[in-house]
Amino acid sequence: MNKTVTINISGIIFHIEEDAYEALSKYLSTIKSYFSNTDGGNEIMSDIEARIAEMLQNKTNTVKQVVLMSDVEEVMNSMGKPEEFANDNESSHEKQFETTTNQNNSGIKRLFRDGDSKVLGGVCSGIGHYFGFDPVWLRIALLLLFFFAGTGFLIYLILWIAVPEAKTTAEKLAMKGEKADINNISKTVKEEAEQLKKRMEKYGQDFKNMASNHSQAPRNAVEKTVDFITDIFTYLGKAILKIIATLMVIFGILFFLGLSGSIFGFTFIENASGSEWIDLFLLNRTDFYLGILGIILFVGIPIIMLIYTGVRLLFKLPYNNRWINLTAGIFWIIGLTILFFLGIKTSTDFNITAKNRESIEVIPHDTLILTMHQTPINNAEMIESDEDQVDDKSFKFNYRSDNDYTIGIDENHQTYLIGHAQLNIIKSQSNQIELVVIKEAKGKDKLAANERAKNISYTVSQTDNTIQFDNLFKVNNADKFRFQDLKVILKLPVGKVVYLDNSLKNLIYDIENLTNTYDGDMVNRRWKMTEYGLACVDCEGLVSVKDHNKQNEDKDSEDEDSKEMVNINVNGVNVKANDAKVKIDSTGVHIQTNKK
Amino acid sequence: MINTENTKAQMRKGVLELCILSILSQGDAYPTEIIEKLKETKLVVVEGTLYPLLTRLKNTGLLNYRWEESASGPPRKYYMLTEIGTSYLKELHLSWYELVDAVNKTIKK
Repeated sequence: MNKTVTINISGIIFHIEEDAYEALSKYLSTIKSYFSNTDGGNEIMSDIEARIAEMLQNKTNTVKQVVLMSDVEEVMNSMGKPEEFANDNESSHEKQFETTTNQNNSGIKRLFRDGDSKVLGGVCSGIGHYFGFDPVWLRIALLLLFFFAGTGFLIYLILWIAVPEAKTTAEKLAMKGEKADINNISKTVKEEAEQLKKRMEKYGQDFKNMASNHSQAPRNAVEKTVDFITDIFTYLGKAILKIIATLMVIFGILFFLGLSGSIFGFTFIENASGSEWIDLFLLNRTDFYLGILGIILFVGIPIIMLIYTGVRLLFKLPYNNRWINLTAGIFWIIGLTILFFLGIKTSTDFNITAKNRESIEVIPHDTLILTMHQTPINNAEMIESDEDQVDDKSFKFNYRSDNDYTIGIDENHQTYLIGHAQLNIIKSQSNQIELVVIKEAKGKDKLAANERAKNISYTVSQTDNTIQFDNLFKVNNADKFRFQDLKVILKLPVGKVVYLDNSLKNLIYDIENLTNTYDGDMVNRRWKMTEYGLACVDCEGLVSVKDHNKQNEDKDSEDEDSKEMVNINVNGVNVKANDAKVKIDSTGVHIQTNKK
Repeated sequence: MINTENTKAQMRKGVLELCILSILSQGDAYPTEIIEKLKETKLVVVEGTLYPLLTRLKNTGLLNYRWEESASGPPRKYYMLTEIGTSYLKELHLSWYELVDAVNKTIKK
């Protein structure tokens, strides 16, 4: 007992045994693939099917109703194998190609997609044929790569576009041709080298001949030399092209990983939360999505084209699809346009800078202890409870620089912008201790900028004589990134003393003092406000910068007597003469004389 | 061995077009009939060869066809010569005899 299948060929119904059906259907689809890209392929196909139907009909009757395997075999024998008759209709180019492959058994193996054993587009099976391994491994590898920011998908897509499908017999033969294994590659290289050597010898011979009677053909000599150089360059060029193509593919993939990593946060790079930054720049959600789209198009298309071109060069794929170039170009320009308009639109929100001053009351003490409070941020990656720990992250985070902003995540998984505050200590004009927080932000007009500045959240707290400054200020995500900045100024009346805790190291910024001590050296010491500025109370043992400089200057003066100097910069004016110093800066005018 | 087979096949292929046109000049026919006549003379080894050729001849305008219902099977495609086909066939006839003469002379020497 055998299972039968009912099929319909050319409008006639047949009952056919299952194995016979399998064979017939495979046979027909092979024929079909042979004719799929020839003119009138469909017509040929239906003619053939009609003939097969006729033949099968002759083999069945009211008694023998079922088509058997032997019937199908007979039909196939009389119809012939597709490769026996399909070549007839192929273009002359393909015929030529086939004859060359037949003559030269080494055969030019080319990369094609295998439409006959495909899962998706036949890319993997095609590559499998090319390198002679089981495509399953490649499929698994690509599938795994898919989880790395979809790289597998991208590579597959590019190959799908770049690699043509093997349609004709010649192409299928070329696809399955000799394996491109190490032996073959070395053979090809040897052959090429041999050819080159022969040509070199020929050139050498030519040159010798020419040298013996060089008056004869000077023009010929030039031509020969040009030929010779061209040959060398072609040979080198081929090798270099392969290397460049490989690099193009590798870099393209790396760039793609970088792009998708920075935008979507599939990231191996710390703090590379690109999409959050884009969100912080752009005005609203629509702009955000547009911005992402713009960046993907603007950056992604060149990357994809880089990989595409690399693959094409690498496998000598012949078709340069103009349609693809055109589409890529159009989308790239769309991306550029989007970014351009977003840029113009967004830049208006950076028009005006506003400063918001806010005074904080300080309970006066003769000596104030200033400490820094490590602002709690719910970002596990960044928070470092032990501030002395000089591990990379904490160092980067504690180290203050003007452009250092970070993104934090609060308990509701809401992101917010974090910036570093600055602390400065100057002389108070009154006899009150004053603490001023100056918040700064940009906006499309004064009002918006001011509102934004006000919204910056920052905490200073006092317990007894200790004042605690947050090292960071926070900006709500809705307020966007608009160059928010925050400075804290402690105005100290003459006679008051402050102790700068070690933790302030990264908070204080360029505090003027009488000894010109660097910020880093100012901590762990007491400083007293005098008429002329901050003076160190317990600085014994510290080689002050001034002293240090002075020593250097003394040394210098022995050589070239260059004690005098005039220095004008953003910090103010600094004039030094042999016996006097004049210094003008934000703290006022200081005059010092060394007269005995 | 392979080469002789290949050469024979190529020879047959070359004259196949002439034979098909000649058969059709004797009256309209559908592929099966054409095949049977060709098989008698062993000009066609596999039937598949015929279909692409017929389609190509039809597409170049040498042949035309009409559908005819068949009592026993699928409708049949009856091919016939067009006017161009007829004059084309005359030319082919002439050059065929020239070729046969030339080849015979060459071989017999």
